[in-house]
Amino acid sequence: MIALQNLSCSFGDKVILSHLDVRLDDGGFYAVMGANGSGKTTLLRLVAGLLTPQEGAVMLDGTNVLHYTARQLAQRMAFVRQHPHTDFEFSAFETVLMGRNPYQHRLQNESEADWQIVEQSLRLTNTWHLRFSKPNQMSGGELQRVIIARALAQQTPILLLDEPLSNLDIAHQFEILDLLRRINREQHKTILLVIHDLNMAWQYCDRLLLLHQGGILYQGPTHQGLTPHNIATVFHVQATLTGDNIQLSPIHSS
Amino acid sequence: MGKRKSQLPFYLLFSLVLLAAMLGCSMLGAVRFDWHEMWQSPIFLNLRLPRIVLSVLVGAALSVCGAAYQSIFRNPLTDPYVLGISSGASLGAAIAILLGLEAYLLGIGACALLAGLLTIVVVYRIASIGNRMHTTTLLLTGVCLTFLFSALISFLMVLHHDKMDNIIFWTMGSFASATWPDVAIVAPVVVVGICVVLFYCRDLNLLLAGSETAKSLGVEVERVKKVLLLVTTLMVAFCVATCGVIGFVGLVVPHCIRLVCGPDNRRIVPYAIIFGGLFLLLCDTLSRTVLAPAELPVGSLTALVGAPLFIHLLYRNKKSY
Repeated sequence: MIALQNLSCSFGDKVILSHLDVRLDDGGFYAVMGANGSGKTTLLRLVAGLLTPQEGAVMLDGTNVLHYTARQLAQRMAFVRQHPHTDFEFSAFETVLMGRNPYQHRLQNESEADWQIVEQSLRLTNTWHLRFSKPNQMSGGELQRVIIARALAQQTPILLLDEPLSNLDIAHQFEILDLLRRINREQHKTILLVIHDLNMAWQYCDRLLLLHQGGILYQGPTHQGLTPHNIATVFHVQATLTGDNIQLSPIHSS
Repeated sequence: MGKRKSQLPFYLLFSLVLLAAMLGCSMLGAVRFDWHEMWQSPIFLNLRLPRIVLSVLVGAALSVCGAAYQSIFRNPLTDPYVLGISSGASLGAAIAILLGLEAYLLGIGACALLAGLLTIVVVYRIASIGNRMHTTTLLLTGVCLTFLFSALISFLMVLHHDKMDNIIFWTMGSFASATWPDVAIVAPVVVVGICVVLFYCRDLNLLLAGSETAKSLGVEVERVKKVLLLVTTLMVAFCVATCGVIGFVGLVVPHCIRLVCGPDNRRIVPYAIIFGGLFLLLCDTLSRTVLAPAELPVGSLTALVGAPLFIHLLYRNKKSY
């Protein structure tokens, strides 16, 4: 279980997050939403132990994430960052194999099990046919799916994804969301997903964290949180709910 | 997809090639030997043999350091020379000479190490402002520091005419004065240093994906970087302290290896040991045989190969942004 306790983070004078108190239950599929600059990425980086908060702490199973070794943490959560990029050209297979690093000993070669897990992860993200491809031979969306495969290969109970859908075409967006829902249900992974599309969040994520002006505007079941009022506060758009669909239109302020 | 093939037979094969090259090169030169008299000749045993061994050690060390810097800075254009670390170390060596330490390689090495460490800290600080290290910032920092250090060295030389020859030696690399005591000090530093880098090869691969990604894949990024920067700077400092500044070895060798066997440091580093040694051995042999009995500075030969390659890489790199 992840608990954010009185968590505050700022860069210089700019306060990004202030005094957050959040509990993330095991097995939840969380949508992390908010306007641009509302601190979604910062929140994920804090949870992943990549940033040191000015105040408060992120507790993972009762221990501050900053007190875990990198290796222990990498066995518990995987992080898919925005805009993966590298100048050096490892193939997709080698990239996903790096997801096994937290389980390998130094100077030891990959085991048979590692190879099977990598194959499985590539197949799950529908990138097995790309296994020999280098980053410059793949489209942005293909690279994104390979990075997700690497996170799956880490076999962690927690998965953090920072806008993993932004490079993908609509078909692959649904494919990844279906995959995430499946592993959320079958393997009971806790998933924190930064996502912009309200309808997709509505359809796929059972829980919602709504960030607004450095604080949490709402935490709880998605369907109760995506109210026209909350949506207007955070995104400044007018929302109308029709069945399972959120229709959006700009607010014309006088 | 088959399993990763063991490279061991290749390592052995190329090590034998390197040994053969060492023997072959030691027979060439201003004084030529045949097989039997060679092992009795003091020129061979006390001048040429340490020179051969030292050039291989330094070549291996500089190449491995180059490969390590390229992963740490995520930039194929870096090596100890380009980053200004070699020049920093040579300034340290020059200061050591002025302090009257020229008889002690350990003293010169220690001063070179201090100056080299200061340089790497400055380069690292400047280059890591912001999230991603920009090629331009990194290279400009290295170039500027090199200018600064050569200015300081010229300044020191003007102030101390009497020791000028000694100092010039450090700014233009040469193996001409290699001795067994040099080898005895450099060899352990290089061997231990290379072992440490080999130990961290997988971490180097992961660092290529960026610090944060490496950390979330289980690498203790800060510790690994600190250890590796310390160890590589140590190797560079002792190389510079014995044979002066030799540029571009760490750029050329890992680059050529990467072209053939890909970006995996677990292959690059072992090959860099072998081919780095071979490369500098051949350069040094050329430098002392082409115009024998006169000598070319070996640093100018490596620069002749390295600088054009560097420009080529810069050109290609620029196009991809």
